[in-house]
Amino acid sequence: MELLHDPELESFRKEIRAFIDEVLPAEMKARQRTKVQNNATIQDQQEWMRILNGHGRAVAHWPKEYGGCDWTPQQLFIFNEELYAADAPEFDWGGTHMLGPVLYTFGSEALRERFLPMIRNGETYWAQGFSEPGSGSDLASLRTSAELVGDKYIVNGQKIWTSGAAHARWGFFLVRTDKTVKPQKGISFLIIDMASPGVTVRQIPQINGEAHLCEVFLDNVEVPADQLVGEPGMGWTYAKFLLEHERTTSSFIYWSKRELERAKEIARHERVGGRRVCDDPAYRARFARVQADLIALEWSVLRVLAHEETGFPEAAAASVLKIRGSELQQEITMLQLDALGAKSLRYYEPGPEAPTPSADWAEHVPGRTTIALITRAATIYGGTKQVQKNILAKLAYGL
Amino acid sequence: MDFAKSDIQTMLLDSAERLLADSSGVEYWRERRHDPLGFDEGRWAQFAELGWLALPLPEAAGGLDGTIEDVALLNIALGKSLATEPYVSSVVLASQILRQAADRGRADALMGEIASGTLRVALAHQEPGADPLSTEAVVTVARRTADGFVLTGAKLMAADAPSAAQLILSARIEDEDGVALFLVPADADGLTVDAYPLIDGTRAADIRLTNVALSADALLIGSNRGEAVLDEAIHRAGVALMAQAVGAMEACIRICGDYARERKQFGAAIGSFQAIQHILADMFVATHQARSMLYHAIANSNRPAAERAAALSAARIVIGEAGQLVSRSGIQVHGGYGLTDEYAVSHYFRRLMSLEKQYGDLVRHTERFGDSLFA
Ligand SMILES: Cc1cc2nc3c(=O)[nH]c(=O)nc-3n(C[C@H](O)[C@H](O)[C@H](O)COP(=O)(O)OP(=O)(O)OC[C@H]3O[C@@H](n4cnc5c(N)ncnc54)[C@H](O)[C@@H]3O)c2cc1C
Repeated sequence: MELLHDPELESFRKEIRAFIDEVLPAEMKARQRTKVQNNATIQDQQEWMRILNGHGRAVAHWPKEYGGCDWTPQQLFIFNEELYAADAPEFDWGGTHMLGPVLYTFGSEALRERFLPMIRNGETYWAQGFSEPGSGSDLASLRTSAELVGDKYIVNGQKIWTSGAAHARWGFFLVRTDKTVKPQKGISFLIIDMASPGVTVRQIPQINGEAHLCEVFLDNVEVPADQLVGEPGMGWTYAKFLLEHERTTSSFIYWSKRELERAKEIARHERVGGRRVCDDPAYRARFARVQADLIALEWSVLRVLAHEETGFPEAAAASVLKIRGSELQQEITMLQLDALGAKSLRYYEPGPEAPTPSADWAEHVPGRTTIALITRAATIYGGTKQVQKNILAKLAYGL
Repeated sequence: MDFAKSDIQTMLLDSAERLLADSSGVEYWRERRHDPLGFDEGRWAQFAELGWLALPLPEAAGGLDGTIEDVALLNIALGKSLATEPYVSSVVLASQILRQAADRGRADALMGEIASGTLRVALAHQEPGADPLSTEAVVTVARRTADGFVLTGAKLMAADAPSAAQLILSARIEDEDGVALFLVPADADGLTVDAYPLIDGTRAADIRLTNVALSADALLIGSNRGEAVLDEAIHRAGVALMAQAVGAMEACIRICGDYARERKQFGAAIGSFQAIQHILADMFVATHQARSMLYHAIANSNRPAAERAAALSAARIVIGEAGQLVSRSGIQVHGGYGLTDEYAVSHYFRRLMSLEKQYGDLVRHTERFGDSLFA
């Protein structure tokens, strides 16, 4: 074991910081800092992907042959950390972190050639069509069916919580291609053109005023059979692969680090009774606890990245990241609101740009509550906290 | 001490049940956002017809002289149904201040108008950067003139101000110690009202006063009594708001229980999973404790100011934390559905968050209660 800081990584960090500083457009950065919505606009996400792709860094985590950077996990960690610290727009997660890895691992040559360059270059936003109204935690019970007729699949059913579907040109879906076998065995992984006849998208009004989540209705949608990824009936395996591939990113460590810095900015700026919020011992204590927990999470992430041998299944360590990571996202956003006090109760219409700040309503006010409200979802999506704990108890203790 | 409801309280709750149950629910709440003031003026008139707006007011003003318990019970019902009406501002806070005004005749006339639903009054006290629990943190100044006063200053996030025709403003009169309270028409020259919605659908406003000229009778409460009057009125408002929080929690846990029975995953109701049962049990414990603390705050409401304040702050700790637990767990139990505007639980979440942070948040009340223990 050798845990002291590595000077080589520090010079890598310097290089990355300078690189981002050079290529990230100032207006994009400003929008990311002040937006009154949870995610960057699709336009900013795509434009940013194009810029990074121009420098060969859009999909740094992919294998080199598909456009990756061949960096160590520690270098990737630093890269992501610096992106968030610099207020760069986040990636189109569906394409870069979900579909991409599935395609280059299991997809045919034709599918790879067709879609990987599109993903790298941010040419489309990808919808993830897994969950259904009756199939959330129990995803394997999904009912959307795809029937092979000639060289096409005919897809019927309904998806829900499909983030960004209203803006997505393409989506990757889990569909049932075989009803006769065990539920997990009858699921396939299908790429669907969202502009196909029979696809209807309804945006779902959310707790925070946004409507990013969608319902997707599929009514006799014809999908070319060659858009089925890998083998029929293997969709469940690919989906699990994809979720596991997401392991360390599901900690949201980079996001949380940036948001905790923002919470500190707020606490330094806001005043109550002539005192800065950060000078209030009650807040000091909370900041100290959250920061300490976040440092612990960071080390836990690094340990998973390094595949440390712990004597427990590695997936158990990965569950820690998801459980604690999602809780910390919520603690940090709520800390931001508490530091704002009653000001956090003001409702702002969601939008890509914040209203003009004033002396009483600093630039950091709009957006905080918009984001904190939807961050209640962190312990729900990608496997709820309860289901994660069920899994962890099984993995770690064999219960 | 008697936990049974009096006849008048039973009547009150019956009428509340009838009116509020008919007009509440997700669709009703979502429609209210399109009302210019965030609530339905027609229903406000019904509040008046039912005597709710007269409840705590003195008989001389056409009021019912109801007790703080009566007011709390009605507010529990308002909280259950997430009413956005400015009940607490006008009927609890403003009337409590008006009752203490020197000019009784005028105050009674104003309260009479409140009782009949024709006048709404909001308090504008909190100033930018001020401690929300302080009655003395007032910089707004009132300069005496030949025929009255001229006010200059700024107020932040005055609850329900956008629907009020008259505002009660705290200000320091030049060369006097203490804080005085003025009644100011919301459309006075030199006064601007920057209105906006809060996340729970209620409205607030920032108020700016630039040389607002007032006649001498605008002074409701002089500098010698302003802080004490404010303190008691804000205390009563705090009790009413905590009653709303208790009502909101009690409704929320039922909604979550129903959902856990109906929602199926893995071939079983999610309520059959112990993880969910334990969450629901914790929500029940917290809600029960919250109502207990409401009673504690009410029971101490006639004590000397420091004791009264300590009891309310203690209540706000337990109720505030319960509100967080109930609202956060409520969403968790609902899964994705909890994040939508189309399910009631997300509305309860927003209201409970708002109630926790008005007139001093959990952190401030924790500090105040802590200080009281070692005073
Ligand atoms: C903001 C957001 C974005 C999302 N984005 C996407 C997306 O892009 N694509 C997509 O396909 N999906 C997406 N999802 C869906 C998400 O994955 C599901 O919400 C999640 O899987 C939970 O399913 P559910 O909402 O149906 O809740 P349910 O499964 O109905 O769960 C309700 C409650 O029951 C509990 N529960 C369920 N089963 C058990 C059990 N066995 N033991 C104990 N407790 C249990 C849960 O923990 C939860 O508390 C998103 C969700 C959200 C909130």
